[in-house]
Amino acid sequence: MIQALFIALSAFGLFMALGTVFARNLVHAALYLVAFFFVVACQFVLLEAEFMAAIQVLIYIGAVAVLLMFGIMLTRNITGDETTIVTGQWRLLGIGVAGAVMIVLFLGINGFKPWTDLGVRPEFPVTAESTTPRGQAILAMTPTVGREMMTRYVVPFELAGLLLTAALVGAVVLAQYDRTDETSAAAESPQP
Amino acid sequence: MSQQIPLTWFLYFASAAFAIGLMGVLMRRNAIGVLMAIEIMLNAANINFIAFWRYGDAPAGEGPLTGVMMALFVVTIAAAEVAVGVGLILLCYRRWRVADVDEFDTLSG
Amino acid sequence: MAHFEMLTGTDLTPILAQRMYYEQVDLVLWFRWGLYLFAGFFGVFPLIVAYVVLAERKIAARFQDRIGPNRVGPFGLLQPFADFIKLIIKESIVPKGANSFVHILAPILTLISAFLVLAVIPFGIGLAPVDLPSGLLYMVSVSSIAALSIFLAGWSSRNKYSLLGAMRGVAQLVSYEIPQVMSVLPVILWSGSLSLVSIVQTQQYDQGWFLFSPPGILGFFLLLISSIAEVNRAPFDLPEAESEIIAGFHTEYSGMRFGLFFLGEYLNVFAICCLSTTLFLGGGSLPLQGYFAGESHHMLAAPFDASRQSTIKLNAHHEFPENPSTGFKIHITNSAGDKEAFQVSHRVGNELVLMANRPVEFKADTNSRVSAAARPSYAAPWHLSNLLMIPVFFAKVFFLIFVMFWIRATLPRVRVDRLMSFAWKTMVPLAIANIFVATIWFEIVIRPAGGFTSRVIAWIVTGILTAGVVAIVFRINRNSYKANDPERRPTLISRSGDSLLAATTQGL
Repeated sequence: MIQALFIALSAFGLFMALGTVFARNLVHAALYLVAFFFVVACQFVLLEAEFMAAIQVLIYIGAVAVLLMFGIMLTRNITGDETTIVTGQWRLLGIGVAGAVMIVLFLGINGFKPWTDLGVRPEFPVTAESTTPRGQAILAMTPTVGREMMTRYVVPFELAGLLLTAALVGAVVLAQYDRTDETSAAAESPQP
Repeated sequence: MSQQIPLTWFLYFASAAFAIGLMGVLMRRNAIGVLMAIEIMLNAANINFIAFWRYGDAPAGEGPLTGVMMALFVVTIAAAEVAVGVGLILLCYRRWRVADVDEFDTLSG
Repeated sequence: MAHFEMLTGTDLTPILAQRMYYEQVDLVLWFRWGLYLFAGFFGVFPLIVAYVVLAERKIAARFQDRIGPNRVGPFGLLQPFADFIKLIIKESIVPKGANSFVHILAPILTLISAFLVLAVIPFGIGLAPVDLPSGLLYMVSVSSIAALSIFLAGWSSRNKYSLLGAMRGVAQLVSYEIPQVMSVLPVILWSGSLSLVSIVQTQQYDQGWFLFSPPGILGFFLLLISSIAEVNRAPFDLPEAESEIIAGFHTEYSGMRFGLFFLGEYLNVFAICCLSTTLFLGGGSLPLQGYFAGESHHMLAAPFDASRQSTIKLNAHHEFPENPSTGFKIHITNSAGDKEAFQVSHRVGNELVLMANRPVEFKADTNSRVSAAARPSYAAPWHLSNLLMIPVFFAKVFFLIFVMFWIRATLPRVRVDRLMSFAWKTMVPLAIANIFVATIWFEIVIRPAGGFTSRVIAWIVTGILTAGVVAIVFRINRNSYKANDPERRPTLISRSGDSLLAATTQGL
């Protein structure tokens, strides 16, 4: 039952990923991407990481997808566009390389654990007396993440904060509507 | 309930999604399309992190949330990457009026 | 003490109790949930929205010295049904060049996000549909889908005005989400939980409303303002400013699809008022209930040493819930007069199992007194106190909704650049500073479980700090509030004559 659900969900997700890659219209591609993000959030729920699922919806669907759509609107004419995919032999090459990577990865996974091995995942009992740290972390992921961020992962956490600040400043500087730049660019009128 | 799903299934899904993302990076001409494909690849990596965290044994002294923390940092970096990436693409678009990566060839001899 | 602390130090009790509660999902519970869903989606919430709309028309009319709708039914009370029938039988038009699938998807997404938000709000005892351990995070993440739906509505309509409204809307929603989330951080800090049920219970039984503190007041107003912006209502209704861009992102919507947008918008209004009530106004609790919570007293049956034991033996125990959805607190006063607060996870027979978030040195003999506020679990099916709680909850919610109507009827629309600079230059710094002030309140009042004196001290200290922060932020920003500064006017046409508008809409 749950396995059938997983297979249906994964097939849907992969279909959406293909849609993202092949859609002619970029906004449609972004919509497919949103569906793919949602499927990934569902996978997180199946992996008992509900916190990550919430983060996935919040950041990827709520922020990244919206940002990408904004980017699409500001760089294309809005009715969509054609020929955003390379043609002919290049397309074959892309499909070939991606297929080769996929086959190599599949073989690697199969070598790590044969596909006939349907081992179930270790369970962590959820009674108050017999919880392991892992089981507790699964049960109460949000406070555990907070605690880990402030103790064991404090340096990566600070670095991520620094990175985000730098990205914020960088994005503002990059996207600022600079009038002098605009006029000089118009005067030179460079052709692509 | 979801215990019944074997680890490898998540890995197969993630690697297929990764390959599709790679295909997108190679085939898309629009810079934002390339960014989207990169997001697919990052998400595939995140699934792997969480799956291995959930199925594997906790390494001693590494805390109970190894994979999740890694995935969280990936999410952070992905968000920063998209913000800067879209800013760069907007800048390029303003200068050359195109957003196709094939057209940004000023540096090629 | 309890061995949770040695492992991660996390208060697992509520989550465990919740797990156990959801594991015994039986037919009755399924039936109850099904009833919630059915009654909620098809009955209660649409009905509330219908009458909120009627109330808005009536109230706005009063503000403008009119009467408002009064023709359909007594006092116009059947007007919502007339409107509904009108919307249903109108033709739904999809514009010719529009992207029909996305066009239909957009209002549905709005409605989905509005309904999903309502899933975690504790309306009363037994009326908290789902009590997620990270309910607040869930709420924030599902409400961020609304930005996407506005964008899709504007894009798929193939109309310049829709597109402009959508771009305004998305920029506004993304900007105001930041102060909105930051303004609720003090609440999370003070209650130590993301679960909305436990946030309400903290206010109801331990702390009193979070509004009654200077950082709480500031946080509440920040939340209210950014929530008004989040649901696109006046004075922040730029995405649908009818004097500038027709109707914004839903210009091209008609019939029931417009009705869905309408329903979604008012559901969002209702939801954020419920959220503000839950977070700052104590849900269904009365104003000072937290300070004067009815307490029951018990005597210890055996001596107790907090540094070695994690259970307390009591003589009487009937008021204590056996399996509360969130843990509850007791106070022990020993014969020397020392008082100490403990978090109780659950009850086994006449023993209370304790947990602590910090090591405690406390000894009590059998002459000690145990006092606890009787707190019914929110997972209980029905409780008599609902008769008080639900009306109180809805009174608060409808008062907040009235405040929103009031603001709408009073204030003119904000200019688009002011809107953004208000979010980024005023709201965000205030929200960040408020978190720091909130930590001071936490250290003075909440962590030591202080009484009246510490509250007074904290009021003075944080009051001065909050007032200072507000004064500084507004002082720094005083130039951006100046009227009619031509240099600061927004332009869609850049000085070189290159139109950004033309660039983005060249396909039309």
